[in-house]
Amino acid sequence: MDIYCTQLGMIIDIAYCFSVNEGLPCRNTIGCWKERADVIALLKAQFTDEQLKKVFSGLPKSKLERILESLKSAREEE
Amino acid sequence: MEKKIFLNEKDIPKAWYNIQADLPNPLPPPLNPGTGEPITPDMLAPIFPMNLIEQEVSTQRWIDIPEEVLEKLLMWRPTPLYRATALEKFLGTPAKIYFKNEGVSPPGSHKPNTAIAQAYYNKVAGTKRLTTETGAGQWGGALAFACGQFGLELKVYMVRVSYNQKPYRRVMMETWGAKCVPSPSPDTNAGRKFLEGNPDHPGSLGMAISEAIEDAVTSKNTKYSLGSVLNHVLMHQTIIGLEAEKQLAAVGDYPNVVIGCAGGGSNFAGISFPFVRDKIHGKDIRIIAAEPTSCPSLTRGDYVYDFGDTAMTTPLLPMYSIGHNFIPAPIHAGGLRYHGMAPLVSRLCADGLIEARAYNQLETFAAGIIFAKTEGFIPAPETNHAIACVIEEAKAAKEEGKEKVILMNWSGHGIIDLASYDAYMCGKLQDYVLPNEEIQKLLKDLEKFPKPK
Repeated sequence: MDIYCTQLGMIIDIAYCFSVNEGLPCRNTIGCWKERADVIALLKAQFTDEQLKKVFSGLPKSKLERILESLKSAREEE
Repeated sequence: MEKKIFLNEKDIPKAWYNIQADLPNPLPPPLNPGTGEPITPDMLAPIFPMNLIEQEVSTQRWIDIPEEVLEKLLMWRPTPLYRATALEKFLGTPAKIYFKNEGVSPPGSHKPNTAIAQAYYNKVAGTKRLTTETGAGQWGGALAFACGQFGLELKVYMVRVSYNQKPYRRVMMETWGAKCVPSPSPDTNAGRKFLEGNPDHPGSLGMAISEAIEDAVTSKNTKYSLGSVLNHVLMHQTIIGLEAEKQLAAVGDYPNVVIGCAGGGSNFAGISFPFVRDKIHGKDIRIIAAEPTSCPSLTRGDYVYDFGDTAMTTPLLPMYSIGHNFIPAPIHAGGLRYHGMAPLVSRLCADGLIEARAYNQLETFAAGIIFAKTEGFIPAPETNHAIACVIEEAKAAKEEGKEKVILMNWSGHGIIDLASYDAYMCGKLQDYVLPNEEIQKLLKDLEKFPKPK
């Protein structure tokens, strides 16, 4: 099952969507797939409610927040 | 009737337009997620040069484009504005459709408009080396081209799954002198950690960002660069819309509708912000951001969440309600954030100055093929979102019998993304109705991928 990933800019398999987030699905998975497959059934078959809540609840980080978090981690490792 | 409207090189815009000077409601300062306090310039200084940080926070309306930057931009700018006569005829529309062809740049998209500027400002600030991340290579390629022009070294962390499957953009980067490695890589602590868990990890943009930033912070004379979202990046792109204004004026036209595809927001901002300025000052013009349905963004109204919404009536929630036991946490709207969308674009949408429409993948590829068959150029898949919107507006004009003027940013060509078109035309991007045994088979296939900790 292939899809054009608008983040990566290329065709990828659904397996990537389901595992890219350190073994959890990409946050965009439902939006990307919902018109093409019963992706919610697939997600529920693969993950627990707790795992899905971790991915899909709340607002995602902004790009700047991700940059600042990476900056903080990099400095802590230094 | 002219098919292509050129702008003389001497008439290239000499300043970028900074919409922060004209926002009806100023952008709230970004907050440090660790402290909740506004970010200060010194927090960004480890990764960006001060001259770009100053642009990021500036409210000065016009910022002069340095001569050294203009000299490089003139390699392909001003870009031609095309009248899409063949598309108009195909659609049978009375609308006039214009598209700004940003695909003529050396990397083939609008991205070098900011890459060249960022490379220059880093150079004058004493930076010797840049790092960045890239998915399938559009941004990495643009920055590689720009760094080559200014004699800067560049290391690009390319998401591994892209690195393996899309060699040509990597080759482009290397041809321009950059070093490109698959991420996660053994070159950073962040990369090594990810590889420890799975030596064959396909990578992600998040991982690649972590690596690029760690590299910038821990290496001498090295800074980080990105291709969208930030204010200064969007400002650099306004040269697109400023040129288009002049080109349309030369043929006596002004747009009724301005359309751009919106991922991170940079090419959309580029074509639209000069016209948003006009709208702010009373001009009757519609400005539409065409985005993918992939994630709730401008079209889903994330902006309006607040702590009071315990009734869970927000548009996002039905989409993410994966069962009656699943209740999303209350969502804080203080940051006015969208998924990866530039804060400036988000602000304008919240203020009603731009509207957003989402298009699903199959309709965007169909639109791209219509465009390729009529106007000849094969669009980048991202550009197809704008084309789908243009077709919708043109058809509406036909129904209304109105001769409206539609301006679109044709943000890039798709010549290096033909695998995506191949997948579409072979029927790989179809709808799936999965019987139970197919679901089980799919789940079996997923077993070889990393499991959540």
